[in-house]
Amino acid sequence: MNISIFGIAKRNLKRKFFRSAAIALSVAVVAGTLFSITTVMESVELSIRRGTARLGADIMVVPADSEQKARATLLAGDVTTFYMPSAVIDSVKRIKGVASVSPQIFIASTTYDCCDIADLRLIGFDPATDLTITPWLKERLNRELGPNEILAGREVARDAGQKMKFYGNSFIVAGTLESTGMRFIDNSVFMPIQSARRMISESVSKSKNPLSIAEDRISAVLVQVDPAYLPAQVAIYIERSVADVKSVVSEEVISSVRKQLFVLLKSILMVSVVLWIMALLMIGVIFSMIVNERQREIGLLRAMGARRSTVFRLIMLEAASLSALGGVIGIAVGGVLLFSFKSLIRAAIHVPYLWPEPSRFALLISVSLALAFLTGIAAALYPAARSSRMEPFEAIRKGA
Amino acid sequence: MIEIKGITKTYRAGGEIFKAVDGVSLSIDKGELMSIVGHSGSGKTTLLSLIGGLTRPDSGTVVIGGTDLWSISDNELSAFRNKKINFVYQFASLIPTLTALENVMLPTAFGKWDGNVAAKAEELLGMVRLGDKLNNYPSQLSGGQQRRVAIARAFINDPEIVLADEPTGDLDEETEADIFQLFHRFNSEKGVTFIIVTHNKELAANTRRQVRMVHGVLGEG
Repeated sequence: MNISIFGIAKRNLKRKFFRSAAIALSVAVVAGTLFSITTVMESVELSIRRGTARLGADIMVVPADSEQKARATLLAGDVTTFYMPSAVIDSVKRIKGVASVSPQIFIASTTYDCCDIADLRLIGFDPATDLTITPWLKERLNRELGPNEILAGREVARDAGQKMKFYGNSFIVAGTLESTGMRFIDNSVFMPIQSARRMISESVSKSKNPLSIAEDRISAVLVQVDPAYLPAQVAIYIERSVADVKSVVSEEVISSVRKQLFVLLKSILMVSVVLWIMALLMIGVIFSMIVNERQREIGLLRAMGARRSTVFRLIMLEAASLSALGGVIGIAVGGVLLFSFKSLIRAAIHVPYLWPEPSRFALLISVSLALAFLTGIAAALYPAARSSRMEPFEAIRKGA
Repeated sequence: MIEIKGITKTYRAGGEIFKAVDGVSLSIDKGELMSIVGHSGSGKTTLLSLIGGLTRPDSGTVVIGGTDLWSISDNELSAFRNKKINFVYQFASLIPTLTALENVMLPTAFGKWDGNVAAKAEELLGMVRLGDKLNNYPSQLSGGQQRRVAIARAFINDPEIVLADEPTGDLDEETEADIFQLFHRFNSEKGVTFIIVTHNKELAANTRRQVRMVHGVLGEG
């Protein structure tokens, strides 16, 4: 049996349990808040980046009166529909700076005796020009979709091989797309535009809730811009040249949302920083009190042969242990809350939300833990230094 | 062995300078058992702290076994205390979070020690009649028992010098006699030098040499 500095520090922490718990808790709140906020920011950033890449388009051309609906569709995944003449495709194709175009038609599923799952977006895409689904099909399915085949987004509750019924038509799920965090993709079912048109026309005879969308209607034209042009510039050209349309630039939508959201998150982050400073001061004051309380003990330890560095180490060890414990608790609780309330957070911030990649997640945990650890170290630095500088006799005398 | 030359220690209190120890010189041989007597505030405790290297004198030197305590580094002084000197105080000096056994072992946490420290601590606690209280915390011991644990602790590192400040202050006569017997035993068997501060004349009479302190100045018994 031996006595060690670590053992003495451990006993000291247990001695004033509630005080130790209060210090650990304050570090936990700071570490947990900082970890959660930075994780949400990281998740949003990742989701937006991945979602934009998945969309494969720089601009979405939509009916002039449906711009807000289109933005809500892109960002929050609202299941809305809007239509415009398909002649827009050729008009847009001719605009300077447009590299390629691809039409899409949006149909909403309902429960009224037509569809297996309500509130899904059914997207008809043109396999010949598509930029969203075709690359995935080539990579994963290695073939085109058959007339009765569909692809399901990650949030659609169907697996490959299962059947789905929409407006009286039966489809087989050929595959499920990976999660993008964008509900626009994750909560949608994709089918070739010909299949969508057939479903529309057959709904009249097969469904009690027939669709009435004219043959020449489309919902949007996805545009890929020539790299020599800026998407914002091409968007202006389109709006000037094509009547009754609006150009939604995906990068602008994303950056404006990112800005709005990050202003909110940064405000919370600022509150966390204030909390952190308060915790720093509070822990500093508590450790000053601890040092004053234990002045005589510290003097006795020095009289027994403890070096200044040993006393310093003892106080720092106590602070570091509490802050590390607080950090672990804060990050664990923050992580559990983030995971448990993932859907709630997504609903509250109205933007895509994906769990960060493992390497980034590990980095966020490490940084938050290091910050928590440093909080205790920084706060106890001065009291620890002061305690180690005390002359043993003075410490014993004044600590009486 | 202990050579004290012209040491002075002053304190400032309320703007006034107070000389606690005033130019004290003293030679103490190895293996001596001596007492310093005097009234409260005469500077006995300060002198003991100066001898033990717990406070730096304003002037003068303290040389123990050829080592000038204030010419060596703070780390060297700490190691010197850890190996050669130990203290017994007039107040409860145990660490409340450690058991009696752990308190006795505590000085060994600050240096390298061979052998079974726990067994030695147990033996020392047995010598002060606390063999059945090894795992008791200070709060579970009486004032006298706590003092006896502190005395046991003073011998854990086989010190060459024990500096005791009113070591039997609030102990009953029987325990006081036991402790003094223990001091004599360590002094005669192991050659430990004892410097005991007391205002108990009977206790002082039991030591081989007595010096008296009056207002910070030293005079022979």
